[in-house]
Amino acid sequence: MAAPKQRPPIPFPSKEAKVSQGATHADTDDLVTRCQAGDVDAFEMLYRQHAARIYTLACRMGGSVEDGEDLLQEIFLQAYRKIGSFKRDAAVGTWLYRLALNHCLDYVRSRQAKMSKLTETLDAETSFEPMARRETPIARMDLERALERLPEGCREAFVLHDVEGFDHKEVGELLGIAEGTSKSQVFKARAKLRALLRRN
Amino acid sequence: MHPNETAIHDYVDDVLELRERTELERHLAGCSQCRRLVDDLREIRKAFGGLKDDLREPPVRAWARLERAIRLESESRSTHNLQGRGGSRTAPTLSLRSMSWLGAAAVLILATVVGLQFRAGRRATPTSSTSTPGASVAAGDAAQAVEAELRAAEEHYTKAITGLEQITKTEQGALDPGTAATLQKNLAVIDQAISESRAALRTQPASEPAQESLMESFKAKIALLQDTVALINEMRKGNDAGAARIVSGLKPKGN
Repeated sequence: MAAPKQRPPIPFPSKEAKVSQGATHADTDDLVTRCQAGDVDAFEMLYRQHAARIYTLACRMGGSVEDGEDLLQEIFLQAYRKIGSFKRDAAVGTWLYRLALNHCLDYVRSRQAKMSKLTETLDAETSFEPMARRETPIARMDLERALERLPEGCREAFVLHDVEGFDHKEVGELLGIAEGTSKSQVFKARAKLRALLRRN
Repeated sequence: MHPNETAIHDYVDDVLELRERTELERHLAGCSQCRRLVDDLREIRKAFGGLKDDLREPPVRAWARLERAIRLESESRSTHNLQGRGGSRTAPTLSLRSMSWLGAAAVLILATVVGLQFRAGRRATPTSSTSTPGASVAAGDAAQAVEAELRAAEEHYTKAITGLEQITKTEQGALDPGTAATLQKNLAVIDQAISESRAALRTQPASEPAQESLMESFKAKIALLQDTVALINEMRKGNDAGAARIVSGLKPKGN
């Protein structure tokens, strides 16, 4: 609590409840203990319980399945190295999610220069042709594809706010931007998505 | 006059003050354009909010790659410990039969990771701390740096691919003919893409799309070869379910 720049607590999405169904606290505790002792089979179980959640986040934050797969590898390798220092002051899923989100954010930040370049390019071109009229709800694949086409910068803010459910203050703190900037990035993303998914 | 953008989005996010909300709703009652915008934004909000628990399964090879990296790390830690103070360890062991080529694959994968450092984002920020005042000289330096980086990345990829190809060639007898044929077909498609990217780079060495395409093709080839190694590994372990999962991901390409 001492450091003012410390990241806010990250609320873990509801998926954790689903993952935990059928597994007691004692089971999870035992799994963590085995992982901390270097048991790779136990770590595989932990991976299988949480990989989909982390991979999905990584794909959306990274903007492609290729980046998502690389990030997934890096995140779980880091988790394997760090699980010995996991103090159980939160659920292991929360710990993993924080680790993943921080890793994704570091990766995104390291692409800052590319970001602005790409944003300018996409702003300049008219690549957001409206999609054909649809009478059915937007298909998941269309949503994922549209997310991938969002410019860097506004995609991360949008994923954190509209998909992951953080408020603008939290998004601002996570991305190191002002709350107002988070808002404008999310609005920008929605406008792009509206053009991409438009019903005529 | 239409409400401003912030008010509309705040309304959709349900964070507007009561008075502003009432005003905005009054406007919406008489403005079909704004009503439609609100409807669209609500639909976007609802659709993407629903993605939160709509999870993607990672490719099967992801765990195999991770496991190899973990085991390699455990091995190196173990060697270090044994050399250092002879301490005990709990890292798992592998059968000696699979150890040599698995270890080789892991080393190659590490080489791949080094190769993957060639990412577009890095090229956008060429180092300028030592550049001379002349802008054209700096641009020339940056172009040379990019080319050098591309060559280094290509070298890493090529090394990794060569090593993985050797493993898959010597072990391919373990695969059934249908799977082997699918793998060969997929490799041929990727090789074609590599050739085309190289040809494009010969005529336009600075072309970013061609550079990206070449890197992506290398990456695709390595991923496929890693799948092949993972498949052979599962078959050696007698894990039919694991092998079937990998085979199901090897869909023919190029049709």
